[in-house]
Amino acid sequence: MDNRPSRHRVVRIRSSRCEPPGERRLPLWEIGGVLVRIGLIAEGGYPYVSGDARLWCDRLVRGLGQHDFDIYALSRSESQEAEGWVPLPPQVSRVRTAPLWMAEDDGVVHGRRARRRFAESYGELVAVLCAGGAMDGPGVPEDASATEADRFGNALYGLAELARDEGGLVGALRSEAAVRALERACRAPGAQSAAREARVPDLLAVAAYLERALRPLSLDWYEDDGLGSVDLCHAASGGTAALPGLLAHHFCDVPLLLTEYGVRLRTHYLAATEAPPAVRALLAAFHGRLAAETYARATLITPGNSHARRWQERCGADREKLRTVYPGMDAARFAEVGEAPECADPDTLVWVGRVEPAKDLVSLLHAFAEVRKEEPKARLRVVGTPAGPSGPEGVAYLGHCKALAAQLFPDEAEGPHTVGDNPVSFEEIGGPEIPTLADAYASGAVTVLSSVVEGFPIGLVEAMLCARVTVSTDVGAVVEVIGGTGLVVPPRNPRALAEACVALLRDPERRERLGAAARARALELFTVEQNVAAFHGIYLEIVSRTPVRRVVLDEAGEPLPFAVPAEAHLPGRWTERTARLVARGGPDRPTAAPVRATALPAPEGAR
Amino acid sequence: MSGLGGLDRAGAPTSPGAWDERSEEWLAAQPHTHAHGDGASAVADGAEESFLAAKEPTAARSRPAPARRTGGDPVKALMHRHRDLCERAVDPLEIAAGLEAHGVTDRTAARFLHRDVFSLAEEMYARVPRDAEKPAGAPPLTTPRARADWLLLTLLPGAVCAAAVTALHLTHGRSRLIAAAVGALAVALALRAALARGPLAATDRTNPTATRTSWLIAYALLGDGLLRAAATGGPDTLPTGTADGSWPFTTAPVLALALSCAPAAWCAHLLAVRARRKLSASRGLQEFATSVKPLLLGIFALHLGALTALLTLTTTALDEPAAYPQTLTLGALLLLARLLTTHGFTHAPALVLTATASAEATALATLFAARLPGCAWLATPVQALIDTWGPAAIPTIACGAGALTLLLHATRTLTRASAHATQDQPW
Repeated sequence: MDNRPSRHRVVRIRSSRCEPPGERRLPLWEIGGVLVRIGLIAEGGYPYVSGDARLWCDRLVRGLGQHDFDIYALSRSESQEAEGWVPLPPQVSRVRTAPLWMAEDDGVVHGRRARRRFAESYGELVAVLCAGGAMDGPGVPEDASATEADRFGNALYGLAELARDEGGLVGALRSEAAVRALERACRAPGAQSAAREARVPDLLAVAAYLERALRPLSLDWYEDDGLGSVDLCHAASGGTAALPGLLAHHFCDVPLLLTEYGVRLRTHYLAATEAPPAVRALLAAFHGRLAAETYARATLITPGNSHARRWQERCGADREKLRTVYPGMDAARFAEVGEAPECADPDTLVWVGRVEPAKDLVSLLHAFAEVRKEEPKARLRVVGTPAGPSGPEGVAYLGHCKALAAQLFPDEAEGPHTVGDNPVSFEEIGGPEIPTLADAYASGAVTVLSSVVEGFPIGLVEAMLCARVTVSTDVGAVVEVIGGTGLVVPPRNPRALAEACVALLRDPERRERLGAAARARALELFTVEQNVAAFHGIYLEIVSRTPVRRVVLDEAGEPLPFAVPAEAHLPGRWTERTARLVARGGPDRPTAAPVRATALPAPEGAR
Repeated sequence: MSGLGGLDRAGAPTSPGAWDERSEEWLAAQPHTHAHGDGASAVADGAEESFLAAKEPTAARSRPAPARRTGGDPVKALMHRHRDLCERAVDPLEIAAGLEAHGVTDRTAARFLHRDVFSLAEEMYARVPRDAEKPAGAPPLTTPRARADWLLLTLLPGAVCAAAVTALHLTHGRSRLIAAAVGALAVALALRAALARGPLAATDRTNPTATRTSWLIAYALLGDGLLRAAATGGPDTLPTGTADGSWPFTTAPVLALALSCAPAAWCAHLLAVRARRKLSASRGLQEFATSVKPLLLGIFALHLGALTALLTLTTTALDEPAAYPQTLTLGALLLLARLLTTHGFTHAPALVLTATASAEATALATLFAARLPGCAWLATPVQALIDTWGPAAIPTIACGAGALTLLLHATRTLTRASAHATQDQPW
């Protein structure tokens, strides 16, 4: 690990920089390919072992070996940092991390002018927050809302510039001046009513939260050797992770790509239910404004499903910027089961997932009771994932379901001399009968999903990859995932669920047809390959629209005149021409391209 | 899709019947809105029809006929079911997020004649009755609790110091020197332990003022005797560890200061608790500042009172001359410095303690430097002070000035709300 000291006068939040063992590779050049240097920004995710979005980031980085990745990671807790990283592929040329969970005051005390700058920017920021949420609905006139959004952005960038020029932002954000500015904004005429109610503890809580949320402003990443040197920033989630991307866009004109599998604003609403109303109102306004600003500045936004897309549209994302990129699943695990001819027990229904109340297993059991009336031979396997029931609530729910199953269905045996068994069995993956997830799906003819609440139903995609027909409730993104390849019933409707199950149990041909269609759909939409290919395309699209404006240096470190031709500054067309040149010229390297043709081994200097 | 022939499509129920038991209630409340279909049994038939025969997109046909909202008010029922959410919500999006978490989708919202969950949430938000009287709901902040560990630890320096003083009185000669050295070390360690936790613990682990504090306490022990001896041409011998002799020990102030660790911790605890209460009770920063100022001064006075009582006690018990002014000012200085450090203001205490310690050191140094030939004028100011008020004047003036500065500083900084903020909010 190479902890080179920051070369800047101002010491900000400590950020460590590491090169993997292989050192920086010179970029490999592929015929006809373009090499893009991507700054992947993740908060509490990749490359930490316990990260949230670790898996898809890892697949993305590994899948795009032809590009260069610089990883900028914000860690969420000390334990996360202690657990270490996942092994990084060679295309990761640099990792810089910064802890968000601790920010030491860098000891810089602002002078009078810096204090005034801070007071202006911070006052403006909190004034916008107190004026109300970003999404006031259609009643608010368009330009007024745009002005407010502008004010928020200017205040944010003002603070960032202050942090860049002077440092000491952490101390200033914690200071009494910040709390006073917040109080003034809350008491100002025109503040929303919840903010006007704010008491001193609320003000302190909001100030502390803002200090934490704005910590990325104090990072030393926004230099020409940091995020300024990448071709595009890819923020792996919204909110705090998008903040470095926003600043890189502001300081260095780096285009920003935002991927949100779950909308940060919505997560905030669901998480912060205990806080007093004033705190929630102000923080919701902050997240709303930040989301709106991010959506406005991002070149492209990729929601993970149409639910996230709707929220983004609602928060002000331009529809033209939105490209839904479904999360990718590893299809290989399910290939064997999916391609095998139907061999499952034709009377078995399977439910796979984590046992928790939102999955509404009770409804499933009632539905199964109805199924048994029609099809006495039917069996139900409830398979819990190895993560097990979540917490004491999940354990209690599992116990409740088992008791209910025992009540509804007495044990039964085939003959008078055999040992009986319950038609509903509760199992876990990893047992002798069901060693893997694929076997769980393979063990039944129909996969059932009975949730009342669901985000993106990964279990359903797995079932589809296993070529199993599914019956699911109409919640979350289920319909979007299923398309036409399964049956969908309303939630909390056991009878409808039972009807659908019976219909499928009685019709093996239809089952097979739907299962094949489901697998085809899943392979088309939900594989890692499609995910990676979609991002590859999006990267190229973004860089082709963003001409480089950097000075290319020669080996001696002098600026190379005419290294980037004037045409490179014109957007459009240029990539096509390059492609043609390459095609004609054979394996020759193109000299320069708007998509920074990094074939040049020359280092880059400041603009 | 078309290539797959008669591929089934996911379909909504085609019948206008209820989707679930709740919608059934609403539909039952307005029987004239659906002419055909009879409640839940229609679902069974309708479902069969939709699942087995939905071969073409039947969105238009399959939607239930929009129910006129004449009899019942489904949104009202929905609001009643989610009234907590509605009352709590600070904007429509919060209701939308909460509804979605309860399984409401756009298709559900369509039954309430809304395009999506967002517009449904907007209606709900707009219809929530907002009375002028709001529940004065903010729960009081958690206040720090007095705990046995730091309570006992704050008694430790006093106990150790008392033991050391007793040992000094019981021993003679070389063993007294050893007792004094061991006692000083033990008191220092006990003090360190007492300040490591509880209300006097500093926010960061580094303790930059330890040397200066030790110097000030050492001066309280030895300084007056040395000053007096130096003024009269001494000292001729090293201190013997007794209150009489040419360079006497003044143990009573030090013992009183060590014992005052416990009241100091109590005062700091009281300040923390009361300040948190005032914090949750006050509406404005100015209001908080004005209400905390008397509290701070009261606590300061309380500590001085306790220190005076302890000093009287130790002076009587050890039968030493009373040394009120210098001890009280030193106690005040140390308390204020510690309080400021505890609340995160480390700069001013370090500065003032340095100034005080160097003032005392300078006074001693000038007396000795005056013995050099031609430098007799150096001792004049100190000598004049000693002649007028006695040797106690030097530490009293130094500590008093320092304490006054810190008191003024504390009334400005410790009355800020941000000084009493804690990081324990979960949101």
